[in-house]
Amino acid sequence: MDRFSLYVPNFLPFKEYFIPRKNLACPGCGLALAVRQTYKALEEEMKKATWQFSKQGKFFECTPDTSEPGRTEVSILRVKKGKADLLLCLDNEAGGNLPEAIKKPIPAIGEGFQYVATACPSYPFDFYEKLKKGLEVKGKTYIHILCPCPVGWQFDPELTVKIGRWAVESRIFPLYEVNGGSYRLTVTTPKPRAVADYLKIQKRFADLSEKDIEAVTITVEKTTRK
Amino acid sequence: MESSTKFLQNMIQCSLLEKGRAKPFYPSDKREMTPEWDRDKCIQCGLCYVYCPDGAIYRTEDDFFEANLDKCKGCGICHRECWFGAISMVMEDA
Repeated sequence: MDRFSLYVPNFLPFKEYFIPRKNLACPGCGLALAVRQTYKALEEEMKKATWQFSKQGKFFECTPDTSEPGRTEVSILRVKKGKADLLLCLDNEAGGNLPEAIKKPIPAIGEGFQYVATACPSYPFDFYEKLKKGLEVKGKTYIHILCPCPVGWQFDPELTVKIGRWAVESRIFPLYEVNGGSYRLTVTTPKPRAVADYLKIQKRFADLSEKDIEAVTITVEKTTRK
Repeated sequence: MESSTKFLQNMIQCSLLEKGRAKPFYPSDKREMTPEWDRDKCIQCGLCYVYCPDGAIYRTEDDFFEANLDKCKGCGICHRECWFGAISMVMEDA
């Protein structure tokens, strides 16, 4: 975030759409933050939204089969717009496996998606832009959202936003968009952070040895080169 | 009898000792710390408002920010994300 975008929040709408009387999320929940931001970005369109939770099997061919035990618990938000739908995948990596944290199963364009993007609530303005674009684009759209979970990943609830930012900076979860076949990184990382920083701060990866961390950095560098 | 259950609930921070008794409790009852703004350091940028997961922070009439203590759970994200250190987490008097 550069210097001038500090004042950008003042231009965002101050109207709240997501006002539960009792919000039962844990303190510092990344998913609650993502849901609040989606409500703010989509405004009136959220009335047409329906929730789908996992345990119903596969959503797409390349996403993990959630009916298997120990797979990610993924909630999908389906917003109707015209003929096609806008799909939001709120992923908090509840399975907690290392290969899942590194390689994200994201559907390709070939499956009939016009617009595919990844987003993270740690970058709120990027988040707003992608959701608004997802509404405007004609055809199926899919947005994969990373929601840090302080209970499942075992870190301090203060660090929720910071860890989301570190996941992007260490290139484990790159923020990109694919609009009709043209690939673009929306957040560039000229000075990438070490992958070890991101892994060591979470207690779910406490049993990783240094060899494992090296292997992870190698795979991350391979995927970023593509 | 009532006072002892209340005492226990406060001790264990548990609202489900009795069946169907979770209604009067708020999620914000469990918090320990509350945010407090230092108005000399605050530049009114609104980052704390954007990053609050529970929507507890609101803008006052003189363009500063404050927390709605019914919703605030004391996670400390606003304290961590403030660039100027204007927000400090204060222990709440029980």
